[in-house]
Amino acid sequence: MDYKKLGLKCGIEIHQQLATKHKLFCECSAAFQDREPVFEVKRKLRAVAGELGKIDTAAMHETLKGKVFRYKVYMNESCAVELDEEPPHPMNRQALEIGLQIAVMLNCEIPEEIEVMRKTVLDGSNTSGFQRTALVGLNGWVDTGFGRVGITNVCIEEDSAQILKKDRKGVVYGLNRLGIPLVEIGTSPDIHEPEQAREVAEKLGMILRSTGKVKRGIGTIRQDLNISITGGSRCEIKGVQKLNMIPKIVEKEVIRQKGIVAKGKNVSSDVRRALPDGRTDFLRPLPGAARMYPETDCPPIQVTGRMLERIKKSLPEIMTDTEQRLMKQYGLGEELAKQVVRSGKAALFEKLANVSDAKTVANVLTKYLKQFPVPDEKLDEFFGALGKKKVPKETLEGMLKQLSGGKPVKDVVTSAGEGLSEPDVENVVRDVIRKNPQVMKVARPEKALMGLVMKDVRGRAPGSLVMKVIMKEIKKH
Amino acid sequence: MYSKRIESFLKRKKLKIGDMVTVTKEGRKISGLLMPQTVSGNPDILVIKLVDNGYNIGVKMEAGAAVEKGKGTEPVLVEEEAEFELGKTKTSGKLKFSAGKPKISLISTGGTISSRVDYRTGGVYAVKDPGEFLYNIPELAKAVNIRKLVTPFTKMSEDMEPQDWKQIARAVARELNSGDRGVIVTHGTDFLHYTAAALSFFLRGLTKPVVLVGAQRSSDRGSSDAGMNLLCAAHTAVSDIAEVGVCMHGRIDDDYCLFTRGTHVRKMDTQRRDAFRPINEYPLAKVWPDGKIMVKNRKHKKRDDNGKVKPDLKFEPKVAMLKTYPGSDPDVINYYISRGFRGFVIEGSGLGHVPVQAKKNWTSIIKKHTKDGVPFVITPQTIYGRINTSVYTNLRILYKETGAIPGGDMLSEVALVKLGWALGHTKDPEKVREIMLTNYAEEITSRTLVGTFLY
Ligand SMILES: [Zn+2]
Repeated sequence: MDYKKLGLKCGIEIHQQLATKHKLFCECSAAFQDREPVFEVKRKLRAVAGELGKIDTAAMHETLKGKVFRYKVYMNESCAVELDEEPPHPMNRQALEIGLQIAVMLNCEIPEEIEVMRKTVLDGSNTSGFQRTALVGLNGWVDTGFGRVGITNVCIEEDSAQILKKDRKGVVYGLNRLGIPLVEIGTSPDIHEPEQAREVAEKLGMILRSTGKVKRGIGTIRQDLNISITGGSRCEIKGVQKLNMIPKIVEKEVIRQKGIVAKGKNVSSDVRRALPDGRTDFLRPLPGAARMYPETDCPPIQVTGRMLERIKKSLPEIMTDTEQRLMKQYGLGEELAKQVVRSGKAALFEKLANVSDAKTVANVLTKYLKQFPVPDEKLDEFFGALGKKKVPKETLEGMLKQLSGGKPVKDVVTSAGEGLSEPDVENVVRDVIRKNPQVMKVARPEKALMGLVMKDVRGRAPGSLVMKVIMKEIKKH
Repeated sequence: MYSKRIESFLKRKKLKIGDMVTVTKEGRKISGLLMPQTVSGNPDILVIKLVDNGYNIGVKMEAGAAVEKGKGTEPVLVEEEAEFELGKTKTSGKLKFSAGKPKISLISTGGTISSRVDYRTGGVYAVKDPGEFLYNIPELAKAVNIRKLVTPFTKMSEDMEPQDWKQIARAVARELNSGDRGVIVTHGTDFLHYTAAALSFFLRGLTKPVVLVGAQRSSDRGSSDAGMNLLCAAHTAVSDIAEVGVCMHGRIDDDYCLFTRGTHVRKMDTQRRDAFRPINEYPLAKVWPDGKIMVKNRKHKKRDDNGKVKPDLKFEPKVAMLKTYPGSDPDVINYYISRGFRGFVIEGSGLGHVPVQAKKNWTSIIKKHTKDGVPFVITPQTIYGRINTSVYTNLRILYKETGAIPGGDMLSEVALVKLGWALGHTKDPEKVREIMLTNYAEEITSRTLVGTFLY
């Protein structure tokens, strides 16, 4: 398809949860781990005249009439702020700084004063009837292989409450997600090829992850596409799960709009939902711009020159740059370098690779940790003790197994022997003799010793080496 | 608030709030609507509402920045809003109450509940026409006919003074006596319970409901409690409960309101929508927004539409409220007396004790001034419960020998208002004592009902 000729215009909007300690406007935990509600509150919302722009207030009243929203309250993750029973606390500075960092990385202009706004939301997903949001960057850009794509906005906003249940009686929401800081990035409709859309989404995601301060995993990032062709209409496609599906979704939407235009019909402006096979289905008509008015409970935030300087100085390295550097500096292959960076452990890798063998470290961080989880500090100690020595795969596995089983590093590394180091085996043998002096008094001490020593070094030192060392030690006695 | 410098600059450029402007700075252009700066913002920063997305951002006005009136038209969205905007001629008169419904009046005194945000400017202004309430609460028209909106003044409740209570009482009496079924008084919430107490004493011979109502969440949000509170207040105003009371959320849910007697209600939380709790008495009724009313306390006057209310507004404002606490020095009383104060409510500890230790002996000072004819009313600082005059020696001394007036289970705030009202009527200490010990508005209960605690 000739997308240029069809006049494809596509923009992307990304919502990404930030990995801050607490929520955007209160001190509740943003971990999103509370699962047992302690309380339920029932609320209604009213259409408020003057807020709704095009929507008829009377019609809105009818829609909301009798609708009861139920909210589940969680001990650590919701307070009076989420219940709209208390004004918001000052904005989470950590979230604000991450937002500004992302805006700077996307070449945005930064407002000199940030104004928190209320965006009207009447589906109950916000207890207040609005979402708090603030523009922290505008007029930025990212470069792609197809050309530059404008960034219209970088916003810091509150996540909405999560739908737990929908039934005849209405919707049940969980308040634990409400108020988790989100960054919203919107691009201009500068994307003109399906593949370019994937590239932009990938690049934005990569920049977000480069900060090391965004949440990871299912539900922490949401991507929407805005697509139109000449003669068609802007349709918003929600719920795009996989980056690789993006070109297909764009392509199918272009075909859909093209088909309607060919029949001489009008394409309606819809919100559509992405399906797993790349097709989309109708969700609802595209609403007009949301009503936006100032959040008078939040004072404006001054962005001083000094603050901006500090942010610019401490920008994180972009992940692709880190990959290149790890390849060059530590001799990692491209795939391994990528895996290290994507695991989010690049900083730990560098620390460990400086004292130990880089490839071993990279393999441990990307492959073994899932099976044998070991805390960072223990890994640090372990690789420090191991030094630059190269260890066979089975030996390494055995050691990690012991470490994750709770054995202290000194026992694992000294007893390791690695099947190679004779002095290590000597140490173990001497230790066993010292702790069990009675074995030396039996008829054939090597037999008893062998049993005791092998208990410690099995799988990491060959029996022949152990026997050789034992015989040597017995002779000394 | 913009700085003088910005203000005069805007004036010179003939720019006003709401105008389309283009700010040019360091080669960048920002176009949007000029917004007012809030009090907490930087007065040298211009707030611009961006045309494309509705966000506000701040642009610092400094050397090298230029502002011009924008050529383009205002964003479409904003024009549409203007049609919906309250207080504009376009909307006023469109929505009307029906003459067939029971007539009530609404006395608007200010506060969150009767103010509206101008979405264009972010400014707040008071509702002027009863019809404006119908935009947010169309159901009101099914319950009542708010025939008149009286605005004696517009104040935050924390700024109110006894003079203001009198104005409200006069307005209420005038409307009730000209045939209203009841009256709603909209009010800020902070000192709402003081006004409720004052009206309870001022409005003698009341035979119709007087319903005070406020909102804890501003009416410019979908989650505001204003709508349900007003709706319940309207149902209450046409009910048979002929009392002064406060009608606000009963629970944290948007479920029902409590109508609580004006002398037994207190704001018990800074922000919750169910902050107004009945104290030492059951609420008069539970009221649902659909009009259902469940009477919870039968001890209330019944409606008599032929009755006439007589405002009795004599009031002595020179009364003060003091609180005892560890180390509290009664010498402050001498200061107050020297400043012309004529009566005191003292929040005693526990059952109504005051410190009697030699150095800071409240009893001796109270005794001295009581002899000079200054009344001292003791109320419990525990809020709940009643004071006792005889279980301990110190109590017997305080009330029998010293001459302090026991406040029973009266709320301190209620006792303060009542004392001012009593002193407004007489200077005779014995008469004041008699008034304070007499029930005028069910302010003192005779039975402590255990279920009323933390209701
Ligand atoms: Zn919270």
